[in-house]
Amino acid sequence: MKKSPAEKVWLGIKYVTLIIFTIMCLYPILWLLLASFKTNKELYVNAWGLPETWNFSNYVTAVVDGKIFQYFGNSVIIAVCAVLVTVIFSTMASYAIARMEWKLSKLTYNIFLMGMMIPVYAMVIPLFSIFKSMGLLNNHLSVIIPHIAIGFPMAIFIICGFMGSVPRELEEASIIDGCNIYQCFGKIILPISKSSIVTVAVVQFINVWNDLLLPRIFLTDAEKMTLPVGLTNFQAMYSTNYVCEIAAVIITIIPSIVVYILLHRYIMEGMVAGAVKG
Amino acid sequence: MKSVFGNKKSIAVFVLPAFIVYAIFCLFPIGYNIYMSFFDTNLMEKSTFVGLNNYIQLAKDATFIKSLKNNILMVIGSLIAHMPLAMFFANAIFKKIKGAAFFQTVFFLPSVICGVAVGLTWTFIYNGNYGLLNAFLGAIGLENLQQVWLSNKNLALFCIIIVVMWQFVGYHMIIQLAAMRNIDSSYYEAASIDGATGWQQFVNITLPMIKPILKIDAVLIITGSLKYFDLIAVMTGGGPNHATEVMSTYMYYQGFNILKYGYSSAIGVVLLLLCAGSVVLSNKVFKTDDTQM
Repeated sequence: MKKSPAEKVWLGIKYVTLIIFTIMCLYPILWLLLASFKTNKELYVNAWGLPETWNFSNYVTAVVDGKIFQYFGNSVIIAVCAVLVTVIFSTMASYAIARMEWKLSKLTYNIFLMGMMIPVYAMVIPLFSIFKSMGLLNNHLSVIIPHIAIGFPMAIFIICGFMGSVPRELEEASIIDGCNIYQCFGKIILPISKSSIVTVAVVQFINVWNDLLLPRIFLTDAEKMTLPVGLTNFQAMYSTNYVCEIAAVIITIIPSIVVYILLHRYIMEGMVAGAVKG
Repeated sequence: MKSVFGNKKSIAVFVLPAFIVYAIFCLFPIGYNIYMSFFDTNLMEKSTFVGLNNYIQLAKDATFIKSLKNNILMVIGSLIAHMPLAMFFANAIFKKIKGAAFFQTVFFLPSVICGVAVGLTWTFIYNGNYGLLNAFLGAIGLENLQQVWLSNKNLALFCIIIVVMWQFVGYHMIIQLAAMRNIDSSYYEAASIDGATGWQQFVNITLPMIKPILKIDAVLIITGSLKYFDLIAVMTGGGPNHATEVMSTYMYYQGFNILKYGYSSAIGVVLLLLCAGSVVLSNKVFKTDDTQM
């Protein structure tokens, strides 16, 4: 099929716009990476180009003085715990909601989904009060637990959607072969639902890893802080040492970017699926 | 067989762990939050019932009104920034161009990056001394436009909306693209045979078919705009002179900086109502036949 001149021009416009936006997406990240090797003085006179020497001193400062690895470790602990519990509990609940027969399953599902539109700001103060009376403030649990609770709506929505489409015969056959319901869940349904479970895990990881609000409210000691809070402390403490801050930003975003590069298919699917129910 | 899948005890074993955590740490706090908004409390010795007083104070609080206005501006700004651009990108990629998978992956990337890191990155870009934006303006001979972007109270909010767009346009593009890919290709084949142009196909096939998703996307953009916190907290902290204050940052300030918890929870309730309201409103604006879905 021949294209008319107007169509060619239009195609050209599309490509140019797409390429401009590609540069806009990638360039700031590349710029940060280059700047993280510069000195403050160099950043000022040579904002654009390559660094004169590739020195890692900014990273050393960020790690040694800025204690960025301590924040990193806290982020890992919080993210791993929150992801594991969310995935395990929501998979179990989804199984009962999507596959088992009981009167209240639809209602339970809707109660969980309702959580998707609730802003976290409408519950942080009560949570603060609850954790205060439980003596959990300044404890990683005070960040992990709310993240688990907030994560359920998205998780159950995605996993239920998947489990709902699995044919009944598989389970029935396994029951006839003598499995009980728990074995049927563990041996038949879990392996089949693996892709949706990975999706939930990845999306939850990114949400927890990136969150600033909860750790900022519930944690007070510097040794317990997560990376996003650590970065804001950096901003306050080293307000003139830009390059060091930039190195810290790079350390923070690398895990998300690596996870994204490895698993972007799951992430896109999951973040869209989590959205596609109003 | 039925008894196995209807066994009450195993249902409880599966559902209760999630439900109990969800009820205690998500549902209960919301109710408690509404309750607390009728009190004047610092969560310690003092707690007085003040009825609707917190809400009356809010209505008189110039900073709160400012933050509400800013939130509305952000909603409008985000809708204008996201919807058409995301639709343009989605449609361009949908038309099977070369490198579609690459563009899709790159555009989505910013939305998985930590908001604090994005905020800091853009603080560097907007920086008055060595920032990229000023360097760029200098390079193309527009030195007179150079300025300390985030300190300009007329521009600061606009600058933040640009960052929000940078971060999330790819996300909304993917949502719309997913909807476009669900359209039966026979519609387009039939339209091509009838000689419909690309634009006509877009208006008469794509647009009506993705309308249900547009509704959802609009809800996401609106509720998302009401919830921005990280970017603003990092980039301007609500300043200069509350020019970029939004409800979430103001709520944080009232609750955790000056410890007016009751007042702060009232702001939380307002946010909750606005989020719920936006769902209802979008349902009205984008009236669709839900049986399509």
